[in-house]
Parts: sequence; structure tokens; C-alpha cells
Amino acid sequence: MTEFLQQLINGLSIGSVYALMAVGYSLVYSIMNFSNFAHGGVIMFGAYFGYFMLTVYDLPFPVAFIGSAILTALLAVAIERAAYSPLRERKAPFLYFIISAMGASIFLENIIIATIGPTFRTYPQIFPKEPFRIGSLAIGRLDLMIFAISAICLLLLIYIIDYTKIGKAIQATAYNTKASALMGVNTAVIIIIVFALGGFLAGIAGVMFGMKYTVYPQIGAITIKSFIAAVFGGLGSLPGAVIGSILLAVIETLTSGYLSSQYRDLIAFALLIGVLIVRPMGLMGKTTEDKA
Amino acid sequence: MKKKAFVLLCVLLVFSLALSGCGQKSTSTGAANDTIKIGWMGSLSGDQAVWGQCEFDTVKMLVEEANAKGGILGKKLEVIGYDTKGDPQEAVNVAKRLTGEDKVVAILGPNASGNAIPIAPVLEAAKVPDIATVATNPKVTVLDGKVKPYNFRVCFIDPYQGAVAAGYAAEVLKAKNAAILYDVGDDYSQGLTQFFEDYFVKSGGTIVAKEGFKSGDVDFRPQLSKIKATNPDVIFMPYFFKEVALSANQARELDINATLLGGDGWPSEQLISMAKDAVEGSYFVNHLDFDDPEVQDFKARYKAKYSKDVELNGYLVHDAFLLLSDSIQRAGEVNSEKIAAAIETANIKGITGKIMIGKDTHNPEGKDAAIIKIVDGKYVFQQKFAAGK
Amino acid sequence: MNTYIEGILILAGINLMAVLGLSLLTGFTGLFSFGHAGFMAIGGYASAMLTVKFHWPLIPALLAGGLAAALISAVIGKVTLNLKGDYFCIATLGFGEAIRLILDNVQYFGGARGWPGIPNYTNIWNVIAINLLAIVILANLIRSRHGRNMIAIREEELASQIIGINVFKHKMVSLMLSASYAGIAGGLMAHYMTFLQPKMFSLVKSTELIIIVIFGGLGSISGSVLGALVLTALPEVLRSFSRWRLVCYGLAVIIIMISRPEGLLGGYELTPSSIKKLYNRIITKKRTRSQGLGGGDTL
Repeated sequence: MTEFLQQLINGLSIGSVYALMAVGYSLVYSIMNFSNFAHGGVIMFGAYFGYFMLTVYDLPFPVAFIGSAILTALLAVAIERAAYSPLRERKAPFLYFIISAMGASIFLENIIIATIGPTFRTYPQIFPKEPFRIGSLAIGRLDLMIFAISAICLLLLIYIIDYTKIGKAIQATAYNTKASALMGVNTAVIIIIVFALGGFLAGIAGVMFGMKYTVYPQIGAITIKSFIAAVFGGLGSLPGAVIGSILLAVIETLTSGYLSSQYRDLIAFALLIGVLIVRPMGLMGKTTEDKA
Repeated sequence: MKKKAFVLLCVLLVFSLALSGCGQKSTSTGAANDTIKIGWMGSLSGDQAVWGQCEFDTVKMLVEEANAKGGILGKKLEVIGYDTKGDPQEAVNVAKRLTGEDKVVAILGPNASGNAIPIAPVLEAAKVPDIATVATNPKVTVLDGKVKPYNFRVCFIDPYQGAVAAGYAAEVLKAKNAAILYDVGDDYSQGLTQFFEDYFVKSGGTIVAKEGFKSGDVDFRPQLSKIKATNPDVIFMPYFFKEVALSANQARELDINATLLGGDGWPSEQLISMAKDAVEGSYFVNHLDFDDPEVQDFKARYKAKYSKDVELNGYLVHDAFLLLSDSIQRAGEVNSEKIAAAIETANIKGITGKIMIGKDTHNPEGKDAAIIKIVDGKYVFQQKFAAGK
Repeated sequence: MNTYIEGILILAGINLMAVLGLSLLTGFTGLFSFGHAGFMAIGGYASAMLTVKFHWPLIPALLAGGLAAALISAVIGKVTLNLKGDYFCIATLGFGEAIRLILDNVQYFGGARGWPGIPNYTNIWNVIAINLLAIVILANLIRSRHGRNMIAIREEELASQIIGINVFKHKMVSLMLSASYAGIAGGLMAHYMTFLQPKMFSLVKSTELIIIVIFGGLGSISGSVLGALVLTALPEVLRSFSRWRLVCYGLAVIIIMISRPEGLLGGYELTPSSIKKLYNRIITKKRTRSQGLGGGDTL
């Protein structure tokens, strides 16, 4: 029983990391209708920004935390301007966006290797490593914090999207870009805002990831899991991204705990495809007709 | 305008392709008389880049030093190194480029077995010897009972390393139950796991858990929670230090107190900086004792030049270079076939130990493994340990 | 011939074989696959098994490898072809990773440690011959009724369904043929490298194939040929840049996408007649230009 509970805690904690990554992903998808593969690269940059602010510049943690999120927001907007907006002007099909995003993610990963080097780096210890213990169960402090931050980010995002004017404009743009442009929404600005928000979340995810694990140039690769989680939950749906992430992580954890750790991903993928067959739009996605 | 730029880009590409082809040839004929070209290959990008970078830096440093002393056979050395990204297909391309375009007399590296195995046919066609650094898969030099004529290495092999780790756990640490956590997608990790398991069971122990993860994973708590329930004496962790640091930290977080045991993927300054408390009291199998007086000189030279610490690969590529320069000297001329023949009969003393190449295995024979214990964040040499008696 | 250049040409040929298959699926039918490295793996391991363990000659082994990939693709297709856009893409991605995970665990094929000692049957001539044959088959297919139906599906899936095209069937045929091309490419790869390792068929490989197809131009066979040649050679040209190589590669991909998103030859074919037309156009352009020069160049 304790092992099962511990596995559940493990799953929730891994899931909240996936979720933090998946939300930014899904947000960009809901407007742009393409999978922004460069998101992983931006998360990696966030982890490095945070690391350098804390170690080299010796800034206090909250400053480094917010600072790196702002920097990644700028980076995400810069990528949008350089790699996506020329494509948007030509109305290129989504395939080209994906390829351009892949180019960007190859570029981001390797520029770090070429300049800073391939070595992984360790965050200074800000929060005590020793977990809370309930009986023989261990709950990491950082896990709780990541869980809380994921929840706060999601609530803030839902607030912005549902209750502010900008949010309304984002929703309108997501629903129909052309029509909302005709109705006087400055869609170019909205797209920049969305990328900035996505980049901000990526920065937070990066710093959290770096603190919990470590910082290295291939962090982007782990976001493939959050991408899958976002599809699982339904692309373009923010609550879907969170629920998909948590579910995916819990399933993975229980699979490696009780079935086979060697074939964990196989079972997770089979389940994903199973869900897609029954619900082709994911758990909480928009109907497929919207995106056709 | 943009169209023009694009056409220009393409034209440029074609030209640079053509030029790079021509340029290489003219230098190789012109310079072949007064320089000896040696090749290096390894990962400069990808997840193994840390080691590749250190290897290449070491080779460059050693070549500079050798040239300052007048070179070998009165000729200057020149090293040409390329990135393999850790990808077998790239390794074959690099081997073809080094042998076909750059006309090197011998190649040092690569570090990964998966890259050292597929280049064998290229070496045989070009008759150029290769000395692998930490490629520990037996099949690098011997396939189906036949030794590959141009493949050599300076490290011990997986069966030996796995047996040493298992033997030390069973005989010295008196462990009865062992758990294994390994990387399913990694050849090195799978190899060590297999031989550790074989030998540990043969020594009368039991493998109570064998859990896998996939390359690139960062969270091992699901597997560790399962391992914890089986209550092992030791946990064997045959993978590289990044994952070791993460999994060791997570194991301690889960209140697992078993002794951790590892292979030559462990040693690194990074491991200590990231998981000092978690790996305290752990053991690993190594190629050498870092505090051996023999290696201090090299360590200091490297540190002075690059102002960072040398990684394990640096020591092995140092010996690979030593082996090669000794063999070129004994061959007496810059001829890759004669050099290969000279490597086959080499018997030198390197900083990682005695290197006597076995004729039927092309491995350094009788190289003992060093057992290192981590005490107070330092790598403390325990003993030389030979297994398989 | 220089072994290095020959090696790169063989690799370009192997990539081309897989790219031709992907070109049919993505360029002509409009389906985006992230799992083609998985089909290459199936073809590679199946044909290597036949030549190593059963001593088959190369050609039948390659065909069997292609067939194995096609059969498995049929199973995948049955399940996933009804999914749309990104969902199909993620399903193929999952499939590709799953194949790799299975191969990592199957010790019969050496697991993650790889499988050395496969005979070296692939050479420049059989690669060229197989590719020529593959191009002829593909070109004929595309000009047939089936090919036109596939293009119709790419352009407007709903409309083509309404006018009576069996969308699912055509997608399925396209996927199976595409997978068999990838399977044959995998077989060629196995007998060129003489070594197989699941690592060789990672997501990066699938991505590389897609980048080649897009770079060459969607819906153009000759574009795929050019793309495979240029992009296999590009990393080799950049080799001297060492660490900066992949930075340049990533940058080049973005620049190509934004400066010419239709790729080198999007929807355009280089055939003997089209080359003649192009030649004539250049000639007439030159003439008009030289005439125009007399009265001040306005171009």
C-alpha cells in the first residue's frame, strides 16, 4: 500500500513538471494551430538563464525566477518574428511552421553546446533537499512547489483568457483569425502576446526543471513527453494539457511500478493511441472539424 | 529578391562542396612528406559531447607537446578530428573521410562501441588502424571468433568490468541481494547489466530487481520505489554520471540506504558537485587510480592548458596516443599497415597501466581494474581487483 | 571513385529511397509522418535477418523487408489513418519510438548493443539501380488515376470524399507503399553499415527525412532527389565547422523555410521536356534582354 501511494506521489510530481511544459505548448497551439517544437528549446534556455542569474550574477531567487521567465518570453517572441511570421505572411501550410520550428530547436540546442559547452550544470541548493516524510512516504519540497506553481500559472492563464479584454481577443483570434482581424482585433499583436505568454511559462518550467533535476542542452528532448500529454488531453485546451500531463505521468509511473519499466513507454503510447481512437480530439480537445 | 538569395545559397553550397573536395586533396599530397597525419573521431555534439570534447582537447595538447619535442621520426604531427554526434552512420562517414580524403595513417577514438563497430570494414578497406578509447563492447575488436585486423583499444571490456563489479560486490562487500537499474536504450548499459547479472548469480547472489529506463529520462523514482520494496544490499547503476547523480539523489530521497555500485561511466567532478551526499560511500569500477603519482603530471598539464579538470576519457586517449606514437616509432616509417603491425606487438606502460596488446583479441591484456570508493566527496582508491578466477 | 564521396552518394541514395516513400505520403497525399525511421528499422532488421540467419541474397531480402514494413504499416494505418493532422503525426511518432523500444529489448537482434556482422552487399550501383526503379514506379503511380486521387485528397479531403474517392483506401495504399520504400531503404542501410543499432532509427532520423522532403519541395519527385543529395552532403560540407555545424544546419533550415517555403521544386518536376522548356525560356529571356538593352534596360 505504501509503495502504491509513493508511486502515486511520484506520478503526480512528474506530471506537474510535464504540465508546466505542456500548458505553454497548448497555448501556442490554440492560436497558431501548429505544434511549436521550439518550445523545448525555449524551456532549456530558461533553465540556463536561471542558472546563470543565480550563480554568476548571484541574484536572489525571485529575481532570477521572474527574470529568466521575462528573458524567455523575449526569446519566444524573437523566434516568432524570425522563424514564423514570414511564413504567416505567406499563409504557408502548417507543415512549414513545424519544419521551421524544428530548425529553431536544432539551432537553440546546438548554440548552447557551441558556446557554453555540453557539460550539465547543477543549480545551487535553494530549498532543502530533505523531503517531508509521512510514515515512510517521501514528498519532495520542490515537488510541492512545482505543483503549486503549475496550479497558479494555470489559474492565472485561465483568468487572463476568460476575464480580460486581451483574453477575449486571444479567444477570438483562436476561433477565427481572419474574422477577428476584420472586427478590429490587432491579430499581429495578439500573436506576439501569446508567444510571450508561452515563453514566460517556458521560462518558469525551465527554472523549475533545472532546480529539480539539472541543466543540460538536451532538456528540449524531454518536452516530447509534454507534447504527447498535450495531445492526450486535447491540443489547444489548457485544462486538457494539465489533466493529460498528470494522467500520462501517473500511468507511466504505475506501469513501471507494476508492469514493466522496460516497456513503460510502449504501454503509454498504446494507451495514447487507444484514447485517440475512442476520442480522436483527445480528452478535452476542440472537435476535429475546427482544425481541419 | 529572396528567390535570388536562395539561389545564391544553393550555388554557394555546391561550390563549397566542390571546393572542399579539391582543397583537401591538394594539401594531402603536398604535405604528406614532412607531417604525420593522425585522425580523431568522437562526439563533439549530442549527449556524449562532454567526453568527446575532453578527448579531442587532450589529443590536440599531446600533439602540440610532441611537436615541441621535434615530432616523431623527425616529422611533425598533425591531428584532424571530426564530430560523430555519437551516431554510427556519422562515424562511418568520418572514417571514410579520414582515410579517403585526409589520408591519415591511424585513427584515435571513437569512444562509443556503437560507433567503433561499424567502422571496421572502412578500416579494412583502407588498411588504417584505429585505437578506440572507451569502447568496451567485446565486438569492437573480435567478431564471431575472428579478430578484426585494424581495430584496437586501450580499455578493458564489458564482460571484465561487469565481472569485476559483481565479484567485488559478492566477495568484498558480501552482498547477497543486488538490484540493477539500467538504461534500456544504451549499449554500454545493457552490456554491463548482462555481465554483472551473469557473474553475480554465478557467485551465489540473487538479482532481486532489474529495472530499466529510457535514455533521456530524468526521473527514476518509479523504478527506485519498486527497487526499494525488494530491499537489496547493493544497487548496480551501470550508466553515465548525469543519470547516476539524478538517480542517486532520488534514491536517497526515497530513503534507500543500499550501497550504490557503478562502472567507468561514473567518475566526474560533476557527479560530486551534484550528488555529494547521495553517492557518499559508493563504489565504482575504474580504469585507473586518479591519485596514482603517474597521472599527476598529465592532470596538471591538462588543467594548466584548459583550466578545467580532465575527464576519464582524457586518460585513455592519452594512452591511445602513447600507444600510437610508440608504434609509429617502432614501425620506422609512416605506413599505416606497418603501424598496425607494430600496434599488434606493442607493450608499453601507460598512465592507466600496462598496455600489452593481445594478438588474438587486440585488447590490452591483463589490465587490472581499479575499485574506487567515494569518501567525503573524494575518489579514494581501494584496490586493484581482477575477476574471473 | 574516392571511397568518401562514394560513401556519401550511397547514403544519399539510401536517404533518397526513404524520402521518395515519405514524399508520396506527405508531398502527394498530405499525411505527415514522424515514424518513418521506424519503418526503416523494420525493413533493416527483417532483411538483415534473412541475409544473416537464412543466407538469402540481397534483392529478395530487401523486398521482404519492404513487405514487412508495409504489413506493419497496414496495421498502424487501420488504427490511425482516420485521425487528423497533428493527431496522426503524434500517433506515427509514438509508433516510431515504440519500434525502437522493442528493438532495444529484443536480445535476438542484439538489443541496444547492436547487431554487427551483416554482409556488405550494398554498393553504389545497386543503390542507383534500385532508386531509378523506385522513381519510375512512383512517377507512373502519380500520373495514374490513383495518384491523381491522392493529390485530390491532399488538396481537399472533404470534397474528394464527396465526389466519390475512397479516401481511406487511397491513404492506406499511399502509407503502405511509403512504408515499403522506407523498409527497402532500411535494408540497404543495414547492408551498407554492416551494423544495426536501434539508436540509428531515432526520432532525429524521421525528422531528417521530413526536412529533406520539405526542402526538396512537396509534391515533386525531382525535388526529393535534389533534396536528398544536397541535405546529405550539407552536414559533410559543414564538417570542418566542428561544433558550429549543427547550429548552421538549424539556421539553414529556418532560412530555407522562410525564404522559399515551397522548397527547391515545389509542385514542379524536372523532366526532359520541362528542362527543354526551361532552356527555351532562358534563351528567349536572354534575347529579349539583349534587345531591351538597346533601348535602356527596364528589367
